[in-house]
Amino acid sequence: MQGLIFDIKEFSTNDGDGVRTTVFFKGCPLRCIWCHNPEGLSPNPELYERTEGCLDCGLCRAPCAHEECRTFGRCLHVCPKNLVRPVGRYYDVDTLAARLLRQKSFFDSMGGGITLSGGEPLLQADFCEALLTRLSGQLHLAIETCGYAAHEDFVRVVSRCDLVMMDLKLMDPNTHRTYTGVGNEQILANAKWLKTSGIPHLFRTPLIPDITDTEENLRAIANFVGTDRIELLPYNTLAAAKYAAVHRTFTDRIDPEHAHPIDLSFFQNAVLRK
Amino acid sequence: MKEPLKQLYNYYIIDRTHRSLRFACNIDFSAEFSAQKLSPEERMCRRFERVTALEIPRILPEEKIVLTRSVSNVGDIFTKEEWDEIRAAHYIHESGYVSNLSPDYEGMIRDGFEARYEDATPYQRRMMDAITNLCDRYSAEAKNMGREDIVRVFDRIPRKGATNFREALQFFRVLHFSLWLEGDYHNTVGRFDQYIYPYYKKDRDAGVYTKEEAFDLLCDFFLSFNKDSDMYFGQQQGDNGQSMVLGGIDENGNDCYNELSELCLKASGELCLIDPKINLRVNKNTPLEIFEEGSRLTKLGLGFPQYSNDDVVIPGLEKMGYSHADAANYVVAACWEFIIPGVGDDIANVGALNLPLMVDRAIRSHAAASSDFDAFFETVKSEIVSECDRIAEKIHDVWFVPSPFMDLLRKDRKYRNFGVHGCGVSSASDALAAVKKYVFDEKTLTVDHLIESMDKNFKNDPALLHQLRYETPKMGCEGGELAAEMSVKLLGAFSDALKGRTNCLGGIWRAGTGTAMFYLWHAAELGATADGRLKGEPLGTNFSPVLFAKTEGPVTVIDHFSAADMERTLNGGPLTLEFASGIFKEDDSIRKLAMLIKYFIERRGHQLQLNAVNPEKMKDAQKDPDRYRQLVVRIWGWSAYFVELDKPFQDHVIARQEYTL
Repeated sequence: MQGLIFDIKEFSTNDGDGVRTTVFFKGCPLRCIWCHNPEGLSPNPELYERTEGCLDCGLCRAPCAHEECRTFGRCLHVCPKNLVRPVGRYYDVDTLAARLLRQKSFFDSMGGGITLSGGEPLLQADFCEALLTRLSGQLHLAIETCGYAAHEDFVRVVSRCDLVMMDLKLMDPNTHRTYTGVGNEQILANAKWLKTSGIPHLFRTPLIPDITDTEENLRAIANFVGTDRIELLPYNTLAAAKYAAVHRTFTDRIDPEHAHPIDLSFFQNAVLRK
Repeated sequence: MKEPLKQLYNYYIIDRTHRSLRFACNIDFSAEFSAQKLSPEERMCRRFERVTALEIPRILPEEKIVLTRSVSNVGDIFTKEEWDEIRAAHYIHESGYVSNLSPDYEGMIRDGFEARYEDATPYQRRMMDAITNLCDRYSAEAKNMGREDIVRVFDRIPRKGATNFREALQFFRVLHFSLWLEGDYHNTVGRFDQYIYPYYKKDRDAGVYTKEEAFDLLCDFFLSFNKDSDMYFGQQQGDNGQSMVLGGIDENGNDCYNELSELCLKASGELCLIDPKINLRVNKNTPLEIFEEGSRLTKLGLGFPQYSNDDVVIPGLEKMGYSHADAANYVVAACWEFIIPGVGDDIANVGALNLPLMVDRAIRSHAAASSDFDAFFETVKSEIVSECDRIAEKIHDVWFVPSPFMDLLRKDRKYRNFGVHGCGVSSASDALAAVKKYVFDEKTLTVDHLIESMDKNFKNDPALLHQLRYETPKMGCEGGELAAEMSVKLLGAFSDALKGRTNCLGGIWRAGTGTAMFYLWHAAELGATADGRLKGEPLGTNFSPVLFAKTEGPVTVIDHFSAADMERTLNGGPLTLEFASGIFKEDDSIRKLAMLIKYFIERRGHQLQLNAVNPEKMKDAQKDPDRYRQLVVRIWGWSAYFVELDKPFQDHVIARQEYTL
């Protein structure tokens, strides 16, 4: 069994307790219009091609004999600036676990641990479960998830985590469908289960101007989470260029000027991130 | 910043009014001294007397610690012809004037000039008289202004030893001022929080100052390092060696970090000036809070504190022959070389070894004939030995311009060791990893083809360039353990090559990991290298990944750069990690950075420098991305390598940095 990973980042300081290494799983069932990780959307390896600094030397377009280059129609092993790269690499559980355990001594003495993120890790639930089982008891394990997964998959994966960070984006099912491509029924069902599961967890809401940051939506979220901890994450407008690198179009329908002032008083246990 | 300090800050730092009041000294000392055939000592003494006499006391109403240079230029004591003669007969280090020492401020501040008079040379007496006279004129000026507080300080010092905190600070200023005026440079500050602490504590215990009042006085004092610093000699503005060392353990292993250490860190943060440059001595038991205090300073983007690890440095110095008590009292020279205050007479930066060049020579001379990698590495070793021979042979008959005043602040000359920088450790280690992997283990690359490709700057084989540059194990990068292993061998070979040698002053040779400006100079001596570095590209600064490496992150970088036994290559030279200042936006980032530093110390790394990078640097990075591969920026909940971001991202981050700073 293999997992498709698009990045591993050390010293992540906003993905759970302590200093963490974040593993980004490739592939996501949602299509949030504000997504800032477009290279995590497709569940397949793809070409990540930057243009900034390109010498137009044409080397990457010349035919090559590498097996792995064939699907891309470009040579991945020749760019003098390293601008043409595959994004998405398959790991087996042992290799990835070994990579993460290498820094066990760091996590042991400093706190922190591993965070599974994405994309959406639950799209690769079997691999997640196997990886978490392998690392269980050795590292502090956290997951960042949108919660859109079959209930059985959600339960078997998050039950193996020490911390679950789950998104709550929009409470209205129709609006949720409009902006993320899917309804929120499954997500809310999983969230309800999580609330009573006894597993340490927190919720997160990205503050997308005029979409998620409306008073109506935030009040509904506040109602839902009750006394559970929730983090509100401000919107950032930087996604467009990354979209081009993975040959996607950024349909920017978000106007940062329309950001609503955030009223934390709706919430019982909320933090507004910077 | 409070009002009296703000006034001083505006005057000295913003408006720099004092600079416009300086006047030139038009005396042609060298011509005059040469015509009179004066001895070097007489020249140094006479110039000091003459310039000191020209100095005009100026005191600002808000100022407590006084003495500001008013003479803008001081000519050399030798003519060009005399220098040619001297250089023909001697090895002259840099400018020839004494530098990079840590003077014994402690003893002089305690004793005062009068106690030293009897044992002093006539030159030293004249110099002490000259500076005492200037202090008297300051005192008279203070009296005119009704500043009895200043008058009282000069009633005591420098004739007699200091009895309180204020006198001790003013005495330091007098001594530091005198050393620069004498012509010595890179005059370091040493363990300021140790030798000043008794005066501080006495006044605090007696209730003379609240902690806050003591802090205000300390800020006034810290400003004094920045009054004349534009006149201090260096490679670049700011390269002036005013390094202050805080914390650390004593010879019995007791932690010496005290309330004054804490105030020094805070004063540096309050003023946000590049001087004094703060160094923190730490060890595996140092509490996280101290690393947090340091990280708050790092956040400001000044590039310090720099951390030195007592757990490695003290035993390392002892192994080189320093006594335990002296080793425990170590400080850093102008940059990072470990030296001993008051008794050290080391030339810590006498030469530099171009490590990538050693690997390159070995590839060209012997790789094809080597049966396996171990045999090949033997030739790398002998190249290093030959180069160390050449460095050592060049340095004989060392001569320094006499420095009578500095000699007053030397208790002894116990250590006369020479330090050699090891430049390009990562580039050389990565090249060795490539050779081992492709030439010897996998046998997919022939030595001839590698040499031809390096000679052609890889124009003949872009795929090889890509492979060596981006797909081969590198220190700090994924799979870089092989390169880290090579660094262990390489640094071991460097250390062994200098071991057992005696220098021309009877001391030993010390191998280090610093580069100074050699990361540019040595790069110019190289063509393209086997790590995929192109001709003309600079090497990494000090002990850090190559500039085009896409590192796994700071934890892996620390792991790889603490692989070697740093006690063996202990001349100094820090691992340098750069963070964009935006990374500090999160509330708990200070604590997390502190943990990272603590991890480095626990891993027995020897020295660490962290930079919070500013927008100017990012603009440079846009123009020259390959030089800034390690630059990490925080976008919001995620971090990225700055140069990997497309331009709109970069522009945005720059704009945001400017906004938040």
